[in-house]
Amino acid sequence: MALDPAVRSAFEQVLEPRDVISDPVGCRAYECDGLTGYRVTPELVLLPRDAAQVAAAVAVCAEHRVPFVARGAGTGLSGGALPVAEGVVISLARLKRVLEVDPVNRRAVVEPGVTNLEITAAASPHGLYYAPDPSSQQVCTIGGNVAENSGGAHCLKYGFTTNHVYSAEVVLPDGSVVTLGTDTGEQAGPDLRGVFLGSEGTLGITTKITVKLLRTPETVRTLLADFPSVRAAGDVVSDIVSAGIVPAAVEMMDTLAIEAAEEAVHAGYTVGVPAALVVELDGPVEECDSQFEQVKAICEKHGCTRLHIAGSPEERAAIWRGRKAAFAAVGRISPDYFVQDGVVPRTRLAEVLDRIAELGRDAGIRVANVFHAGDGNLHPLVLYSAALGETERAEKLSGEIAELCVEFGGSLSGEHGIGTDKACSMPKMFTEDDLAVMQRVRDAFDGHNICNPGKVLPTPRLCGERPGKYEPHPLEESGVIERL
Amino acid sequence: MTTPAGSAESKLPQTAPSSFDDHHPPERELLDDCVHCGFCLPTCPTYQLWGEEMDSPRGRIYLMDLASKGEITLEGSFQEHMDACLGCMACVTACPSGVQYDKLLESVRPQIERNVERDRSDQLFRDAIFALFPYKRRLRAAALPGALYQKLRTVPAIRKLAEKLPGRLAAMESLLPPVSVREAFARLPVFTPAVGSRRGRVALLSGCVQDVFFHRVNEATVRVLAAEGYDVLVPRDQQCCGALELHAGREAPALERAKREIGVFETLDVDSIVTNVAGCGSSMKEYGHLFADDPAWADRAAAFSARVRDVHEVLADGEPRAERHPVRGRVAYHDACHLGHAQKVRAQPRAVLRSIPDLELVDLPETELCCGSAGIYNMIAPEAAGELGARKAANVRSVNPDVIVTANPGCLLQIGKHLGADIPLLHPVQLLDASIRGVAVPRT
Amino acid sequence: MSELASSPDSAVSTPTKMRPGDLDELRAAILDTSGPVGISGAGTAADWAGPLGAVETVLDTTALTGVITHNPGDMTVSVRAGTPLRALVEELSSHGQHVSLDAARIADGATVGGLLATGDAGPSALVYGTLRDLVIGTTLVLADGTIAHNGGHVIKNVAGFDLAKLMHGSYGTLAVVAEVVLRLHPVPKATATLALDCPLDEAPDHAARVLGGPFEPVALEWVDGTLLVRIEGTEAALDARAARVAEALDTDERHFRRTGSDDGAARQGWGAHDAAVRGAPGSAVLRIGALPSRLPALIGSLPGVTAVTAGLGTGVATVSLDPAGVAEAHALVHAAGGTSVVRSRPAGSDVPAWGPPPSAVAVLRSVKNVFDPQGRFGPGRFDPWM
Repeated sequence: MALDPAVRSAFEQVLEPRDVISDPVGCRAYECDGLTGYRVTPELVLLPRDAAQVAAAVAVCAEHRVPFVARGAGTGLSGGALPVAEGVVISLARLKRVLEVDPVNRRAVVEPGVTNLEITAAASPHGLYYAPDPSSQQVCTIGGNVAENSGGAHCLKYGFTTNHVYSAEVVLPDGSVVTLGTDTGEQAGPDLRGVFLGSEGTLGITTKITVKLLRTPETVRTLLADFPSVRAAGDVVSDIVSAGIVPAAVEMMDTLAIEAAEEAVHAGYTVGVPAALVVELDGPVEECDSQFEQVKAICEKHGCTRLHIAGSPEERAAIWRGRKAAFAAVGRISPDYFVQDGVVPRTRLAEVLDRIAELGRDAGIRVANVFHAGDGNLHPLVLYSAALGETERAEKLSGEIAELCVEFGGSLSGEHGIGTDKACSMPKMFTEDDLAVMQRVRDAFDGHNICNPGKVLPTPRLCGERPGKYEPHPLEESGVIERL
Repeated sequence: MTTPAGSAESKLPQTAPSSFDDHHPPERELLDDCVHCGFCLPTCPTYQLWGEEMDSPRGRIYLMDLASKGEITLEGSFQEHMDACLGCMACVTACPSGVQYDKLLESVRPQIERNVERDRSDQLFRDAIFALFPYKRRLRAAALPGALYQKLRTVPAIRKLAEKLPGRLAAMESLLPPVSVREAFARLPVFTPAVGSRRGRVALLSGCVQDVFFHRVNEATVRVLAAEGYDVLVPRDQQCCGALELHAGREAPALERAKREIGVFETLDVDSIVTNVAGCGSSMKEYGHLFADDPAWADRAAAFSARVRDVHEVLADGEPRAERHPVRGRVAYHDACHLGHAQKVRAQPRAVLRSIPDLELVDLPETELCCGSAGIYNMIAPEAAGELGARKAANVRSVNPDVIVTANPGCLLQIGKHLGADIPLLHPVQLLDASIRGVAVPRT
Repeated sequence: MSELASSPDSAVSTPTKMRPGDLDELRAAILDTSGPVGISGAGTAADWAGPLGAVETVLDTTALTGVITHNPGDMTVSVRAGTPLRALVEELSSHGQHVSLDAARIADGATVGGLLATGDAGPSALVYGTLRDLVIGTTLVLADGTIAHNGGHVIKNVAGFDLAKLMHGSYGTLAVVAEVVLRLHPVPKATATLALDCPLDEAPDHAARVLGGPFEPVALEWVDGTLLVRIEGTEAALDARAARVAEALDTDERHFRRTGSDDGAARQGWGAHDAAVRGAPGSAVLRIGALPSRLPALIGSLPGVTAVTAGLGTGVATVSLDPAGVAEAHALVHAAGGTSVVRSRPAGSDVPAWGPPPSAVAVLRSVKNVFDPQGRFGPGRFDPWM
C-alpha cells in the first residue's frame, strides 16, 4: 500500500518540494543504517532545513498516522534508523549548526545533525571539549548520540551521553515542541530528559541539544602494553581498579583485532601478542604522574612483555587510531563479520572470554575481541565467510555470545543499542512485565505508535512467538496500554 | 524471521542480471569491502553541501551495489548521483576499511558513458569540453580573446555548442584565465642539464592546460629540478595524458591518449617521469591498473606507472642541494585532491616548502574538502562547484595567508576565481624557484 | 509485614501505615489497598515539594533494607531502597568505595530510595552528577502491583528505557522504588577544602578562575560569605594541587583552610553548607537551579533571603526566604529560565511548592497516567501541575 498522495503534498507544503524525496532510487539509499542486514525502503525521505520544518513534518505524520523514523548520519549498529514500510524517514543531516558555545557556563547548544567531533572542534578554542567519544565520533551526530545514549572509550571516567546533556528541544510524536531538561542538574519533577536519552528515537525527535563541556585535561598519559595472555591483561584492569584509580580509558584488543588494526593503520601495535591494553589517565599533572607510576608497576607485575608510553600527542593519536580503526579494519582479515556489543561485570571478563573462545572453537569460527575492558563492554567480532557457507554457524555463535553476556549478569548492549537487531532478545534480559512497563512509557509519548515503531521492544511481527506465556495485562484490558 | 542479535545477513541478494555491461563492471569484492560505516560522509563535498545519502560515497556505493544486483537501472537517478560526484577521493582517505572508491568510480563512469544516453544539451556541452581541453593547440587559440567563437568554430563539437547553447559556451570561456599570448605559445627546452653534479635524470610531463595557462609553473619546475641536480627532458611530441577524459568516464579516448604517452616516454633513459599536475599524476599512476587485462599493454603500462612521480616526491627525496634564500610570510598549502587523496602525497610538498628559510607554513581548516574544481566539474555543475569554491576561499581567508600554494591548475583557477586577486596563488615550485634564485615571489 | 498504626474507624484521617519487609510484601501491600497512597522513607524530606494530600495508606519503606549484592571488583552495589545511604556508605568503606553523593540530609538518615525520589544532591554534583547519574538500575512496584526491573548491574548498559531516571525527582508519584543498583567510586585518598571569604557578587570571578583552570575541583560552593573549593586525589599530589588552587584564587594564604585528609575533617569546612541546605528557622527553603552565570544576580533579586548556599559551577542553590516571598521567587526564577521547588516551609504556612509549569507538563501528565492511571501515589506532590 503506497502513501496517500495527499500526504505527500502535505509534506511538500511544509517543506520545500525538492526536500521531499520520493524518487525510489534515492529512497533506497536510506533503506539501512550501519547495520546493513536489515533493509526497508521508506515511502519518502524528508530533508527539513530547520527545527520548525521538523515539527511541521511530524505534525503531518501525526495527522495522517504516518510512521516516521529519524535519521542522523546512519552509523548506528543496531538498525535503530531502519525505515518503516509505508513510512517516512526524517533526515536531520541538514540541521547542523553549532548555535552557541558558552565558555562561561561551559556548554554548547547545537542542532542534532552536528557531529560529535564538531562540538569539540567548536569548543576547543575555549580550552573545552565534549567528553563522550564513540569510535565513530568524526561522523556520528549528536542527535543520534542522544537517541542511543552513546558511550565511547572515555565513558569509564566521564560517563555517557546522558551525563552530558542538560536539555533537549524535542518534537513529540504529536508534532508539539517541548524542552526536556533544564539548564542545570536540578529538574522540576521526574527526569524526562533522562528517559528520552537512549530511547532510540522512539519517543520523539531532538531539534536542539544543550551539552555540557568539560575543560580539556591538563595532562594526558597513555600507554600501550602487551601481555602474554588475555587473563593477565584482565588482571591488570582489576588491580588498577582495586588501587582506587579511575583511568580515563582502559581498552583491550586480542591477537586477531591487533592484526587487523595494524594492517589498516600501522599504529605500532605488536602483531602476534595475545593481548594488548591501552590505558589512559588524565587530569591535573601531579595526580596523573603519581597514578601513572602505579599503573606501570601493575603492568610489570603481571608480566607485560612490552610497555610503550606515548611520548607525544602524535604517538597518542596513533595508539587511539589503532584502537578506533579496529572495528572496520576487521573487514581486512575476514570477508564478513558480525559485531556484538554485550556487557559483563568486569570481574567476570576473563571467564566470559574463555567461554567465547570455547564457543568459537566448537563452531569452527574465529572471534576477534576489541573491548572497553574498564567497563566490561565486549565487542566480539565473529569472523566468517558467507561464500564458504559459514553464515548460519556464525549467526548462531553471535547470538550465543549475546545471551552469554546476559547469563553472566550483564547486558545485551553497552552502546550500540537494541534497535531492530536485538529487540527479539530483550525477553532474555527482561520479564514480560518489565517490557510492558517500558511500553507504557512509550505510549505516554507516542499514543499512536508512529515514532520509530518496531524498535527496542519485541513485537510479535518481528520476533514471532515470544517466549513465555501471554497474559493480557490489566492496563491492556482497560485500554490504557496496547501491545503491538 | 528471527535472527540472533547482531547477526543479520549483511549482503544484498542478487535479484536480476546486473545493470552493468560486462566490460569492467565495478568489482564485486570492491563493493563488498564497504561495511556502510559512514566514515566517509564528513569528507564528501556533495554530502557536506546537500546532506543526502545518495550523494555520499556510502550512498553511491550502495547504488552501485543495487545496480550490480539488478535492482536499479543506470538511467536517471543513478546517473545523476554518479555525475554529481567530484571524484575528489577524500572518501578513500577517510575509509577505515580500505574501500577503493576510486576504482569503483573509474569503472562506473565508462558504464554510464556507454550505456546511458545523455540529455542532448549535456551531451553537446561535454563534447565541446572534450573537443577543447585535451588539445594544446586549441587551448592556445582559445587563450586569444574571442577565439572560441571564431577560430575554434572549425571544431565541430564547439560549433554545435555555439549554435545550440551559446550561453554555456560563454560560461566555459569565462573560466579560462587570462594569459599572455607570449606565455601561451612559449615552449620548454627539450633538455636542461643538471646544475653541478648529476643526481638523476627525469622526464617532465608538460601537460595541456598547464603548459598553455601555467607555462611559468613548468619553467619554474625545470629550473628547480635542474638546480637540485636533475637532468630534465621534455619530450616535444607529448600530448594530453588523458586524465580529464579518464575521470569523466570517456574511457576509449583516454586509453588512446595513455598509450600515446606511454609510447613517448617509455623509451627515454630516465629515472622518473615527473609531473607537477596532481590530476595528471594520479591518472598516469593508474595506467598500470587500466591496462591490467590488456596483454599487449599490461607490462608497458605497469612499467610506465612505476616511474611516475609527482615533482614534490622527487624534490623531497634527498637533502636540498641548491641554496635557499629566505621568503618571509605565511604560506597556506592547499592539498589538491588528486595529490593528497588520490596519490597520498601530503608530507612531501610541505617538506619542500619547509626547506625555505623564514617561510611560515599553515594548514587550512577543512583541508580534506575539495575546492570544487574537480576536473570538468566546475563547468558541468557550476552551482555546487561555486558553493565549494566559496567555502574553500573562506577557509583560506580564515588563516590570513600572504600566499596560497597548490599543485594543480584546476585548483589554482577555481580558488583564484573565488578568492579574488589580493592573495597571490602559486604552485609550490614557484615559491621554491623564487627562493633558490633569490628573487621576489611572483604575483601569479 | 507489620502494620504499625491501623485504625479502621479513621481510615481517611489517620492513614494506615504499612511497612513491608521485602519485595513480595511490598507488592502485596499495594494490591491490598485501593485508595491513595503516600510513600515514605526516613521522613527526612517529608515536607518537600507539594504537601501530601489525603491518603488512606502510607507505605513505609524503611524495613526494605540491606545490600543485595556487592561485588567490590565491579564497583556496583544493589541495595534495598529503604536502606539509609549513610549505612550503605559505612558498609562499603572497608572496600575503599563509596557512593559519590554528598547531600546534607544523608547524615540525617535519608534512604537511598528517598534521595532518588526527591532528586537530592550535594555540592559534588559538579563532577559526579546527581543520583540520576549514579543509579544504573531499579526495581519498581507500580500502583497496579506490577513489578518492573530496568537497567541492570553493569555500569554501561543501553538495553531498554532508562526508567530509573523517571524516578529521580518523582516524589513518590509514579511507583515505589524497591531496589536500586548504584555505581560506586573509590573513596578519595585525600581531600582538601580551600575557603575564601568574599561577597556573592565577587564570587563568580574567583569561581571562574578555579573552574577555568586545570584544577578539577569536585565541589565549588559559595555559602553565606565564603567560597568553598574542594579537591580530592592522592596524598602525594594533593598538597601541590591545593597550593595551585590557592594561587589561582590569588589571595592571602591566611584566608585558606586546609582540612585533614580523613573524610570527617574534610566535611567540617562544609558544615555551613549543610546548615544552609537545612534552612533558617521560620523561613521557607527553596531549591533553585539556573544557568550558573545568572545565579548570583537571581539570588540577589529574591525577596527576603536569609541564608544561601550556591553552587557556582552547578547553577544549583538552596536559599531560605520569607514564606511570603515564595510565589514571587518562583516567578523570578522562571523568568531567569530556571527551575524552583519548595523544600520545606514553616508549619502551617501555605506557600506554593512549584512555579509555572515546564513546557513538557503534558508529557508529565501522560507519564503519570500510564504508571498510575488512578492517581493513587503521592497525591498533591505536584499540585497544581498534575
